[in-house]
Amino acid sequence: MSSLTGSRRRFLATCGAAGLGLAVPVMADPEAARASEDDLPAYGGPFYLVFNAAGGWDTTLLMDPKGSEGINRLYREGDILTQGNHTFAPTAAHKEGGLSNEDFYAEFGKELLTFNGLDYSVNNHSPCSRYMATGKLDSLAYPTFAALVAACQGPSCPLSFLTFGNYSATGNLVAMSRVPYLPSLQRIANADAIEGNLRAPYHDDFALEAIERAIQHRHDSRIAGPLLPRSAQAESMLYAAQTNSKALSRITPHVPKEIPKQRLAQQVEIALASFAAGVCVSANLSIGQFDSHANNDRDQMKLIPELLEGIAYALHRAEDLHLRDQLVVIMQSEMGRTPHYNKGDGKDHWSIGSAMFLGPGIHGNRVLGATDGEQFAHRLIPATLANAPDDGIRIRPEHLHQALRQLAGIADHPFSLRFPLGISAGEELPTFWNPTSSAENSGS
Amino acid sequence: MLFMQPAAIPMIVLIIVLSGLTSAAAEPAACPGSTTLSLSEQRFADELWAKVARQQCFVCHQPGGDAEDTRLVLRDPRVTTGDARVAAHRHNLAAFSALASITTEEGPLLLLKATGGLEHGGGEVLSPDSAAAEVVAAFVERQTDPLAESGEEASVRPSLFAGVAMLSDQALLRRATLSLAGRLPTAAERSAVAEGHLDAIPALLDAVMQEEAFYTRLREGFNDIFLTQGVDGNPDQTVLSYEHFEKTRGWYQRHDLSHIADEKERRQAGYKLANEYRAALLDEPMRLIDDIVRHDRPFTEIITGDYIMVSPYSARGYGVFKDLEDAFADPSDPFEYLPVRLPALTGRSPKENQESATGFYPHAGLLSTFQYLSRYPTTETNRNRLRARMYYLHFLGVDILELASRGSDAAAATAAYEIPTMQAAECVVCHKTLDPVAGLFQDYWRFDANFSIYGRRHEGWFDDMFPAGFEGTPLPEDQRWRALQWLGEQTAADPRFARTMAGHAYYLLTGRHPMLPPNDLDDPFADARYRSWQAMQCEVDTIADRFRAADFSFKQLLKDWIISDFYRADGLTAAMSAERLAELEEIGVVRLLSPEQLERKIEAIFGKRWGRLSEQTAMLYGGIDSKEVTERATSPSGAMGAIQRTMANDVACKNVALDFSRPPTERLLFPAIEPTVLPGVAPQSDEQICHTIAHLHQRILGRDDAESSAEVQQTFALFASVVRDAAAQEHIEKEEAWHCRQGLEAPVPDPHYTVRAWRAVVTYLLRQPEFLYE
Repeated sequence: MSSLTGSRRRFLATCGAAGLGLAVPVMADPEAARASEDDLPAYGGPFYLVFNAAGGWDTTLLMDPKGSEGINRLYREGDILTQGNHTFAPTAAHKEGGLSNEDFYAEFGKELLTFNGLDYSVNNHSPCSRYMATGKLDSLAYPTFAALVAACQGPSCPLSFLTFGNYSATGNLVAMSRVPYLPSLQRIANADAIEGNLRAPYHDDFALEAIERAIQHRHDSRIAGPLLPRSAQAESMLYAAQTNSKALSRITPHVPKEIPKQRLAQQVEIALASFAAGVCVSANLSIGQFDSHANNDRDQMKLIPELLEGIAYALHRAEDLHLRDQLVVIMQSEMGRTPHYNKGDGKDHWSIGSAMFLGPGIHGNRVLGATDGEQFAHRLIPATLANAPDDGIRIRPEHLHQALRQLAGIADHPFSLRFPLGISAGEELPTFWNPTSSAENSGS
Repeated sequence: MLFMQPAAIPMIVLIIVLSGLTSAAAEPAACPGSTTLSLSEQRFADELWAKVARQQCFVCHQPGGDAEDTRLVLRDPRVTTGDARVAAHRHNLAAFSALASITTEEGPLLLLKATGGLEHGGGEVLSPDSAAAEVVAAFVERQTDPLAESGEEASVRPSLFAGVAMLSDQALLRRATLSLAGRLPTAAERSAVAEGHLDAIPALLDAVMQEEAFYTRLREGFNDIFLTQGVDGNPDQTVLSYEHFEKTRGWYQRHDLSHIADEKERRQAGYKLANEYRAALLDEPMRLIDDIVRHDRPFTEIITGDYIMVSPYSARGYGVFKDLEDAFADPSDPFEYLPVRLPALTGRSPKENQESATGFYPHAGLLSTFQYLSRYPTTETNRNRLRARMYYLHFLGVDILELASRGSDAAAATAAYEIPTMQAAECVVCHKTLDPVAGLFQDYWRFDANFSIYGRRHEGWFDDMFPAGFEGTPLPEDQRWRALQWLGEQTAADPRFARTMAGHAYYLLTGRHPMLPPNDLDDPFADARYRSWQAMQCEVDTIADRFRAADFSFKQLLKDWIISDFYRADGLTAAMSAERLAELEEIGVVRLLSPEQLERKIEAIFGKRWGRLSEQTAMLYGGIDSKEVTERATSPSGAMGAIQRTMANDVACKNVALDFSRPPTERLLFPAIEPTVLPGVAPQSDEQICHTIAHLHQRILGRDDAESSAEVQQTFALFASVVRDAAAQEHIEKEEAWHCRQGLEAPVPDPHYTVRAWRAVVTYLLRQPEFLYE
């Protein structure tokens, strides 16, 4: 890690000297976020859905089952189920609504990659949420993966990065979009028409074109002059937001007529409509209240099935919309729960947890990493992901984020380099997504 | 202030708090304490302390810290001011110097310890070839090589603001009146500034801060910080508990509305009554701030004030309305507020009665309000730690959880210790500070939403937590019943309180908090960012000192920030190097207006609000709900860009023809031109058009552009091109679009398309950053 920090300094200094501006902390090239007026191409994928179980899920009730009585009270060792290479907790008999683990694994187990034994190293919500979302524990400046990939792959998309809650920092790379209600999409779809009615434009076409030309002309002349960095960024982001928003007209056909009742399904519909319209790269979805300090089993048995139901809904609807083969799904939480119950039948914060992944480029039916009988993380050899108690390393969020950057093909993007994760080559996880990959072709 | 009687003695004491408003103009001041540090001391403060030790060493190497028994025990300059701060820096320098002089066989002891050598208790804090380690190495070198230290001279750096263009005094006035009162400056104010320049501004602001609109903005801005509007559920049930307000909190359900004959109307009136009651309850904490500032009482009262604010409606909920009825100017106004001391709580059973040595509820400003306690609730296992964390953030500017931003092994610590929060070093770091304050909230222990907020834990407070107190001072036993008042007193005396309030004032004005210290020393521009951060810290300290000197007048804080370079910085006089740009990265207000601010600005300019930036559209435009969404958008997304376009189209549509339909003397936009004036016909008509454009630039954008300026000519070109293109169309309607000619005061024909061309101009201006940003 230490050698990397030195090399990063040299890299950034070189960029600065070469005029690349990578080290200047405002948007490296905010003009890149502005598409030409006549060219607002639809983004075709891949798309990223990040599901957050906000508050800290109980991994022993999902993907990392433990049969001992002290750890959970819902099932015994012999009740633990398997699906392919997955083992999981039985929940069909305990869930309150939603989707059982049994049904979820039966349908998606073949595609699913699970990582157990993720070491968050701390156990408070705020730093853990930030760490899990960005891969960086000790900085408030880093973007979430969803924001980073949106900035790298779809800077001109008007809703490039959608968020519905949880930690959503953008690193000043891309604007954060909050679209809380499905009908909101209709409101913003045709901004130049009265009440969105295309047959009733505010301005005649020639007048609107003159307005747009004048705005562009003024923007170009102002941005060419010396400006305070904040002003320059604001000028560019404002112009990009207004210009690129024209592409929102493409959303209308994709907005479903019926609004689903479930809270995650509502978020999913907004995200998928935006994906289908080619105006969005990533969405940060969230349901909260997992922080089950009291009545752990009761709360988790409402929330885990609700989460799985939402994920399944997303995958089914993506199928309907022909987006499934471009959809990467990340399932995470900011922490796990203790391997014992407190006096209120709850479980407190635990700094060891799990994450799950599914989508193109991800070889499924795999479980990587592990926890022991007391729910401590195994150390792993990064290259092979084999257990190695003595010379392995703890796998932490930065390792997963580096792998995610590689999966998305953005590990060497200037935006990613501006926010390094401090992972040396020897700590990368070349076989994480594909067991047949090697360090040489893990490819950034 | 109204003191509600603890017993049924019918006496009300009304105290009118009168205090003079300090209106001293700000004067340039050196950064407090900086002038008394020597060059080497200042270098230590700016380098080793600011860049490394403050974050990396102090956490453990302080009294009460894990490393308090070592040779390196540091003091925190941030909890002191003036001479004490200088003394703290000198103490720290001496402590580090003593270690720097020690060299072992492997190398300098200080550097080895910091990089994890010599069995350093904290392990490897710095990577050996990190920039932070270089800072330590440079310090050691300076300490061990007197020639290196003495041979260096103070480098003279240009001011942070060298080459930065400041707002004109008139533009500053406009920014301030729009920001504070949602209106444009009056002619008299503009004249006063033309005559008195910057010196005239503070007195004008004193008057602006008497306006009702200022208090609306004040409450809105502070809710962005405290988020007390975000209390869950119906506040008549969550704020007013069953145990203590069972008989009174539901008064609205029994309120006599029989005088309304129509059943539907009566039902609607009932809904309105309930909604206004709930709104009145939710607004009480912000009304407390309002009242303190309105009467220019010391702002420390937000944490020491021994009263709450109640309205006629919320007073009924507390069961104190009858005693107050005569004190209200209008007892039927749900939103008239008075300061009141509540009697100590009386429960449904004696065990639920509140202990009180005075018979009154021990109010401690915001901190003890039921709204604050409901907004930041506890759970059985959280043990009031959330409340303690929010207290530190809101009142002392300390994000406790940032202390935990260093990788550790929390799971192992949890398993290895019986009481990790008191025994495991990585846990103790936070909990030693957090838990004593959590203990001060111990009498507000109930956490079931259906039951009261006040209530003591039956088994007594937890003994597996650090005991109640504040920063090493234990809570005296006789203060237990008024623990939050005791905390408020400690807080008001803490220098961090004034600095935090200075930060809150900056947030109100700019939409962002004072910048944080850069934590990436590997950044090639780290030094530039440090200079910027230090300059801002200096400004915060200066303004905080003046705040204290002005008896904690919050208005003084606002005035000082408004005339500061940080608020007035507006541009560059020339292109600058990348390093200087990094230094100026956080400089300039450049604030995207919130939905509420944008509506107020539209009203100020056009005479009425757009009216559509509310509810769902407000959320879409980056607004907050104070619950789930608590931070305002700072950059426009595409969705917000679409709303901006709709707003520009619609506001122009509703106002341009309407303005022309009025007599010229009543017009806001076009007082000196008619739609009959065409471009390119005669020099006089073009001059008239340019004159009008300059007027629009001033009114909408706040720009003082000359009629011959490129900016005005550019807008003229837009106007002329639309008129010209319209003339080239085969068929053009001779009047405005139907939607845009509604509500006109007189017909406005548009045979030459000039009205619509002016509408295009206004649309264009409404989409500019000068309008959409502050």
